[in-house]
Amino acid sequence: MIRKELTWTPFKVLLEREVRRFMKVLMQTVMTPLINSTLYLMIFGVSLGASISVGDLSYLAFLIPGLVMMNCLNNSYQNSSSSIVSSKFNGELEDYRVSPLSPQQIVMAFAIGGLARGLMVGGITFCVGQVFYFVQQGTVLGLANPLHLLFFLVIGGLAFATLGITVAFWAKTFDQMSAVSAFIMLPLLYLGGVFFSIESLHPFWKGLAQMNPMLYMINGVRYGILGVSDVAVEKAALVSVLSFIVFFVLALRTLIKGSFQRW
Amino acid sequence: MKPLVVSNLTKRYGDFEAVKGVSFSLEPGEIFGLLGPNGAGKTSIISVIVTLTQPSSGDVEVFEQSVSDNPREAKVHTGLVPQELINHGYFDVEEVLKFYSGYFGVTGNKSRIDFLLDRLQLWEHRKKKVKQLSGGMKRRLLIAKALVHEPKLLLLDEPTAGVDIELRESLWEFVTDLRKEGLTVLLTTHYLEEAEQLCDRVAILHHGEMRKIGPTKQLIEGLTQRNILIQLKSPLSQFQHPYLIDNSGAALHFRVPSGVGAGDLLAESQLDLSNVVDMKIEEGSLEEAFRSVLSGTRGELS
Repeated sequence: MIRKELTWTPFKVLLEREVRRFMKVLMQTVMTPLINSTLYLMIFGVSLGASISVGDLSYLAFLIPGLVMMNCLNNSYQNSSSSIVSSKFNGELEDYRVSPLSPQQIVMAFAIGGLARGLMVGGITFCVGQVFYFVQQGTVLGLANPLHLLFFLVIGGLAFATLGITVAFWAKTFDQMSAVSAFIMLPLLYLGGVFFSIESLHPFWKGLAQMNPMLYMINGVRYGILGVSDVAVEKAALVSVLSFIVFFVLALRTLIKGSFQRW
Repeated sequence: MKPLVVSNLTKRYGDFEAVKGVSFSLEPGEIFGLLGPNGAGKTSIISVIVTLTQPSSGDVEVFEQSVSDNPREAKVHTGLVPQELINHGYFDVEEVLKFYSGYFGVTGNKSRIDFLLDRLQLWEHRKKKVKQLSGGMKRRLLIAKALVHEPKLLLLDEPTAGVDIELRESLWEFVTDLRKEGLTVLLTTHYLEEAEQLCDRVAILHHGEMRKIGPTKQLIEGLTQRNILIQLKSPLSQFQHPYLIDNSGAALHFRVPSGVGAGDLLAESQLDLSNVVDMKIEEGSLEEAFRSVLSGTRGELS
């Protein structure tokens, strides 16, 4: 039987710390993705996109949900992983082990902290996208299925935040961290159907793209905003939830087995 | 209820055995010194107590809660001052203390935080980011962190390494005050003089083994000898005595077991008191005791 004050307080305080941390470095955490997505929208959505359409949709409309989710997933991942890696480097990670925080509390606090940043950046991306859309089309995008949208953002954000925890705990050096970003995260993100519909791919690449869980999350968000998706929305939901469960269990395992000692 | 019981603790890293079946326990309210040269296994023991590492075999109980079976309950009452400084990139001193209390389930403890900031001379630095602090301030912050949740067992892992004399003295003064309030302290240090002054009991570790444990005074008495130096008016070059180790003519240097008093020595050696100018007695120190334990001898006379 665990004492009452250890049930919620340590978790809530660690979550508060996680949120305050990215709020303190807004320049890095919010401005950078904001500039990134503005550039994407300008180059792909407006310049190149003028001569492309995806089905009945303007390319800009197709691109916006993809960018929203890409930024949400990427920032959820970045938040938990960079927080843990810098804590490892500072020696601060030992604090979590020395105190009576449970592994479950640590995983949940980092996951929800990452999600908070993912939602914030995703939301800002959506607003920027709306500005571009309004300039081009004279109207704004509505939300076809707001509950679906929320579901996919939350599950996707939590999944990638927990993945970030696993990678950061596993990594022994900064090099390993950036290798995972460059060789796994970025290809998955860029080939996850943000910029193109997988319908346009060669069957081989289409088959491969269908193994990428991000594809389902991104299409889930596209369904939430536009009401269209490359994959069945039930399947997208199932893959997203399964990814979250797998990443959560992995994160918990890494935390229980892994070392909190400094680099 | 014993604050800490270490039973038959072994810690292996691969083939290397850092701690070899060590057992000891702490009494409530005592200051206990864990001494030993670098690599003796002191930090490994502390790491097991705070669950930074798991024991290979044996167990540790903090207030009767096993760190293996019930780690969260075991950690609630423990405060750790680690050997190495910790940075907190983004937060100021006050925030760090608030968060750290929260991890222990303690909130709304502003008065405790203010007390520690004041007592550890961090009050005017409370709004500074931790990375802006000097080494000594960071060290004081570590101490404040360790005490912020009002632990009953304080683990100090070489808290005075690289710390100036003033801070050292104020730290020991603070620890002594806290002990009066019932805090139990486990201390590792390389400053044996500090350990001698502060610790009620000490244990000496060497290569992961417990070599000696006991009340500090008794341990010193058992392991060291007293030096008695007698200056004479007129030289006694022919003087002979089993305890005499040097006779420069003008001065006699005796090394006697700790049980032998200077008066006994004078009476027994039949020295003429009117020939004695001055007398100097040096007690054995913990450092000598420490050396004799490490070298495996127990002194020439015992």
